[in-house]
This record gives sequence, structure tokens and C-alpha cells, in this order.
Amino acid sequence: MPLWLKLVLRAERAVGTRVESAVHSDPYFDLVALINRRKASLTGSVEGVSKRILHLANLPAGTDIRRVREQLARMERRLVELSKELEEQRFERELR
Amino acid sequence: MRAVSPGSPTDLLARVNRDMERSLLRARNGVRYVRGTNRPKLGVTPKDVVWQRDKAQLWRYRGGPRRFEQPLVIVTSLVSRSYILDLMPTSSSVEFLRDYGFDVFMIDWGIPDELEAANRFETYVDEYLPRAIDAVIRETGAKEVTLVGYCLGGVLAFLYANGHQDAPIRNLVLLATPVNYREMGPMVAALVEGRLDADDLIDATGNVPADVLYSGFYMMAPTTVVAQNATLLENLWNDEFVKGFQAVSQWTRDQVPFPGAAFRQMVDDLIRRNVLMEGSWRLGGRAIDFTTTGATVLNVMASADRVVPRAAAAPAGELVGRPDRREEMVVKGGHATFGTGRSAFKHTLPRLADWIGSHSDSGHETKGKRWKSDSSSSLTATP
Repeated sequence: MPLWLKLVLRAERAVGTRVESAVHSDPYFDLVALINRRKASLTGSVEGVSKRILHLANLPAGTDIRRVREQLARMERRLVELSKELEEQRFERELR
Repeated sequence: MRAVSPGSPTDLLARVNRDMERSLLRARNGVRYVRGTNRPKLGVTPKDVVWQRDKAQLWRYRGGPRRFEQPLVIVTSLVSRSYILDLMPTSSSVEFLRDYGFDVFMIDWGIPDELEAANRFETYVDEYLPRAIDAVIRETGAKEVTLVGYCLGGVLAFLYANGHQDAPIRNLVLLATPVNYREMGPMVAALVEGRLDADDLIDATGNVPADVLYSGFYMMAPTTVVAQNATLLENLWNDEFVKGFQAVSQWTRDQVPFPGAAFRQMVDDLIRRNVLMEGSWRLGGRAIDFTTTGATVLNVMASADRVVPRAAAAPAGELVGRPDRREEMVVKGGHATFGTGRSAFKHTLPRLADWIGSHSDSGHETKGKRWKSDSSSSLTATP
């Protein structure tokens, strides 16, 4: 192994150990949770404003599309469940 | 051939020549790497889809000598892509096991979207796995299978094996399977302590997005990327090294969303209550006792695993299976040692294959070349 690589690897470990202890600490995870919650609430506020503007122009907002996608996913899940139930009933009938 | 002394002009010339050649190769491979061309194709061992339900698929790998009666069924994790076990030709665990003589199957869960957001552990343990194993039995005519679960796939595998009295399992092999979530590292600890909640990580699709999972793994050792890239720079002249590096980097970045309902269950029961350490879990309306399976259980841990540390995987050896049918194996390497790296093909897989082979019935050889283990546990072809 060349000397430069040895030095890089040694430096990486020297710095890395400190970085790892920082990003594995409780304050770091508190910060991550805080950022996630703030991000979600900020996104919610921005989406609320843009939704009102888009609705004024009778246009669908991202949240509308998301809701439709959720409803579609729920419906699709229900359809899949029903088709599985039918398949099982048919299988049981064939067994009899 | 004339011996060359280390400091002789001939030696110096040879070294200059070698360095020049390597510099040219480095430049060529560097351009290819930056442009993203010449990327290896991953997961290409020939296979057929023999069963499918929703996005879950059961693959059967073609070819191989098929020396053993019990097919080998691999249950992959819900977190990462299954091709880590079939990375590239000549560097594929699946290919290795197939060429050793196993009829290899793999269950791939696909890439979840909104439709899978409601999937719970029961969906995998009571719906997909029993049907997939039935399909293996139908396809091969075998009476029993060897079930190999990798990472969280190991948890699914042992829940299925113990939750279904009629599960036709001869051997149950758990690879880096997390059981004790108190030992799973800082991110999991943050979930235990309530610093992070499941809902902090689940997005509008109802799943934990892939980039959250990637960040979680990345933040375990964020600076190692520097060491990895420095090592790549040094070995950039070596086509095989670059190919392997690209393959593993792609797999590391290529995470899949985690179904939201299963994730909430994991946080509430597995992580916060650490329920697997109790030796049973109430799932699908009944308590699954982990000692009911008649299978011989092999718990395999990687010595330098940072994703599922040895302390998190070790209790499986005391909790899963009947006390007289438990065995343990520690292999060198990290979490990916079951699919990649020199040690995987030199030590890990030969030891694993030898163990499974010695716990399977020899069938008649169907086709292809025969393999045998030599004393150093590496595989050699015999005519």
C-alpha cells in the first residue's frame, strides 16, 4: 500500500471516529427529529398556501393528487384482497 | 530467467513501465467511472419466475449440477435489494451455491409503493412465504427445503418456520439476523428512547422512503466514503476492482422503501419492546413460539458486521429452534460478506455450503459439472 493511501486512511479514521461519535449522539438524533418535524410543518404550511392559490384558479394541488393516489391505493388494495378471497374460494371448491 | 536485484536499472525500468501502464489504465477507467459507462450488469444469473403474488416473486436459478434433494430457498430482507446475493458473474453467491449443487430459489419482495404500505409482518409470514414454499415443493417434487434468511429475511424465515406447524423445513439458516434490538446501534436506540418516532420517518406514500434508509446506513460511518474513494483511486487501473466497487456502491445506494405498517410493527414490538428476545411473538392472532420448528437451525454471524452487530444476532442461537438442533457459525467480514468480497467466496460461502450440504440428502446428480470442497474450503471443479 503506498504511503499516501496509508496517510489518507489514517486521517479518515482519526476524523471519522469523532464524526461518528457526533452523529451517533443523542443531540444529533434530537436534531434530526426536530428538522423532520419542522420540515413537515413547513411543507404543510407552504402546501396550504399553494393549494388555496391553485384552487382559486380551479386547478388541483399536489395534496389533491396525493389524496387521490391514496384513495386509489386503498381501492386497489381492496380489489387485490377481494381477488385473493375469490381465488381461495375457487381453490377450496376445486379441492372439494 | 535471470534474477533482477531490487535496485538494478532493469528493475527500475520495469517499475516505470508498470506505473505508466497503470496511469493510462487509471485515466481510462477514471473517465468511464465519472461518465458512468461500463457499469457492470447486476443480478444476471439466469432464472425463471416460478411464482408471483402482488410484487413478491419466487425465482428459480437455471443450471447447476443439483446434487442435493432439498432445494435451497433464500428469503431476502425487506430493506435492501436482493441482488447483493447475485451481484455479478463469478462474484455471485447464488451462482456459487448453484454450482455447489443446490437447486437455488430466491424470494424477492419487489419495490413497495402505496399498495404495500399496509403490509404487515403477517403479510410476509402467513401469506407470501407459505405460498412461495408450496410453489417450491410443487416445482421440485421435494419433501423439504432448506430455508436461508438474510438480515430481516431471517426474522421472516424463522417466524414462518415456527408459525406454521406444517412448514416443510429441513434446515433453517439465519444470516446476520437481528434479534436483540438493544444492540442494533444508535439509530435504533433513538427509536427505542422515543427520540425518533416511526411517523417521523414515514412519508406521504405510507412507507419509509428509500433515501431515509440510505441516510440511516450512510450515517453509521459517514467518512468511510473518503477511504473507499482513496482505495478506488489507488486501484483504478484494475478493471475487476473497479467493476466490483461500482457493483457494491450501486447496491449500497439502491435501497427500497420499507412498508409503513410493517415498520410501525417493527418499531413498536421489535425495537421498543424487544419482543424477539422473549422467544415468542404474538402475530396474526396467535403466539409464535420460536422453539417449535423441527428444523436444524444454523445461526451465522459476521464478525465485523456494523449493520447487525454480532451481539444483536447471537441470541438467535439460543432462542430459535429446539435446543438440540441449534448450531452457530461466525464468519469473517461485514454485513455484506454473504454476497460480496474476497472472503465471501474464499471462506464464508464454502463453509456455509459445506454445512448445508452435510445437512441435506444427496440426490442423483442431474447435469453439469460436479464440485467438491478441498481442504482450504475453496471450491475446485472435478471432471
